[in-house]
Amino acid sequence: MISLTSPVRTRAQDWPAAAKLGALLAATTALFLLPGLWVQIAALAAVLGLYTLPGRVFLRHGLAQLRVLWPIVLVLLVWHALTGDLPDALRIALRIVNAVALANLVTMTTTLSDLTEVVHRIFAPLRRAGLPVAVIEAGIPLVIRFTPTLIQKGRALHQAWRARSSRRANWRIVLPMTLLALDDADHLAEALRARGGISPFED
Amino acid sequence: MEKNVAQIALFAALIAALGAIPQITLGFGVPITAQSMGVMLAGAVLGAKRGFLSMLLFLLLVAIGLPLLSGGRGGLGAFVAPTSGFLIAFPFGAWLTGLIVEKLQLRPVALRVGLASVVGGIGVLYLMGTIGLTLALGKSFAECARLVLVFLPGDVIKAVLTGLLVAALAKARPQSVGFTVR
Amino acid sequence: MTQPIPGIQTIGMSYAIGPRRVIDGIDLRLDGPRVGIIGRNGSGKSTLSRLLAGLLQPSDGTIRVEGVDVWDDRRAAIATLGILFQNPEHQIIFPTVLEEMTFGLRQLGRAKSEAKDAALATLAQFGKAHWHDASTEALSQGQKHLLCLMAVMAMRPRWLILDEPFAGLDIPTRMQLVRHLESCGAKLLHISHDPRDLAGYGHICWLDQGRIRATGGPEVLAQFETQMLAEGARDDLADLAG
Repeated sequence: MISLTSPVRTRAQDWPAAAKLGALLAATTALFLLPGLWVQIAALAAVLGLYTLPGRVFLRHGLAQLRVLWPIVLVLLVWHALTGDLPDALRIALRIVNAVALANLVTMTTTLSDLTEVVHRIFAPLRRAGLPVAVIEAGIPLVIRFTPTLIQKGRALHQAWRARSSRRANWRIVLPMTLLALDDADHLAEALRARGGISPFED
Repeated sequence: MEKNVAQIALFAALIAALGAIPQITLGFGVPITAQSMGVMLAGAVLGAKRGFLSMLLFLLLVAIGLPLLSGGRGGLGAFVAPTSGFLIAFPFGAWLTGLIVEKLQLRPVALRVGLASVVGGIGVLYLMGTIGLTLALGKSFAECARLVLVFLPGDVIKAVLTGLLVAALAKARPQSVGFTVR
Repeated sequence: MTQPIPGIQTIGMSYAIGPRRVIDGIDLRLDGPRVGIIGRNGSGKSTLSRLLAGLLQPSDGTIRVEGVDVWDDRRAAIATLGILFQNPEHQIIFPTVLEEMTFGLRQLGRAKSEAKDAALATLAQFGKAHWHDASTEALSQGQKHLLCLMAVMAMRPRWLILDEPFAGLDIPTRMQLVRHLESCGAKLLHISHDPRDLAGYGHICWLDQGRIRATGGPEVLAQFETQMLAEGARDDLADLAG
């Protein structure tokens, strides 16, 4: 499965993932705590600068990721305009865009395996405290393996539906998809057991 | 043990797959998809604990950059967007749905699961989602709640459908659901 | 300590689903480089393979493979035997070839780097060293079968249980897989409905409605084929399982 890491290789890919996450946390906190419209405008300029550094392909890809935000930004601006507080609306809208853009930046410049490694380290104290984090960690590759398979089977179900119906497949397709997932879970449990089951890995 | 891991993982994958089937949009940037129905399903079918873990696993995969949310979205940005409250509520919604299904001895099963889905799948998601919007938009809780309530009819329909689906499932494969019908 | 009984031994092995005994009190002593089990669809073949692999718990009786209780002692079981399922989709657990290969080795208690080296060595031995980074999703059906075989053989089991691994494969793929199986170095227990799969096997058991109908050499295959042709002339598709 393709992750959201940018295909464009940047220098930031070599920086430690934990440091990037720490910086993101600090920056996002600052965005929320510092008052004033000008802080957000300056932050936007800085964020755009960061997006431009790796080149045009990266910039276009990054901006495309932000498009999902426009409906909520629009609602926000119209809403505040009606109540007569446009500068505040602008500040809040910019804050949202800045926060999401920065977070996306970390996602785009950090590989899946680096982030999985960070998760493993964050989980270490929880593991020692006896929480069932091993189940979650063991599940990561399993979901990556089975999501495309399930989507593919879902598409096959759609086709089987359309082969015998003139109408579009509707919510009723959720039941066979759930059964498929349960069947796959049975097979997966068997395959795991056949090769030794899940015992927490020690590293 | 293997069975638990397998079911937790496969339900996380199922939620992702449900996000890939065509979306029903009602605007406002709050995605209305079969994905929130998946939260209700996970809680009702797997039960409180495994449902919670399954949704937590799903969120973790979104956070490390997999495009599992509806419309191929994902990554850390999803957790700071104004709608992130709804997302973060997934494990808690599944947990409460599962808990009610396990504890509430009510027949028929469809009614029991439907009610649990309303409380867990809608109540918890709307509460946390609205708190998220309040923090992000600088409006009051009541104002944000009014914005969110636009989506209530659609979600109530989903809760009803979940009740019917899980009742059918409990009949077809009683060994696969995490609750007992007495 | 007494020497464990070599090979596969079952005593009074049964498996019931509800009131129906899918496997009904089977006593077996199997050993040798190539053992075949033949039976019709629904005779209990898949259940038998899963019992022998320790994936199902027998409702009655005992199962020992090279002296190991395969249900209870999983650690010893996975070092003793491996199983290839009919559908590789049901066997592949991980998104990449190397993860799939190292998983079983890690379960045997090998360290991470050691498991990786052993997995790469197995890939090289099969001439597929360049596969290590490949996505399991992108492999062809035949390649998926081969990956399952390699992942199991990396664990160096003494027995390999084959549950109709050739069903639905084209002739060249099947020939290539047979070649890999012949040289894999484990004793084969091959379960199939097709006498052609078991040609040349020295020891054959005929499974019929959850019981052993006959055991012996290649002559059992001939008896089975004669019976199947007779049954094929009738119409028993109409009978529903009770």
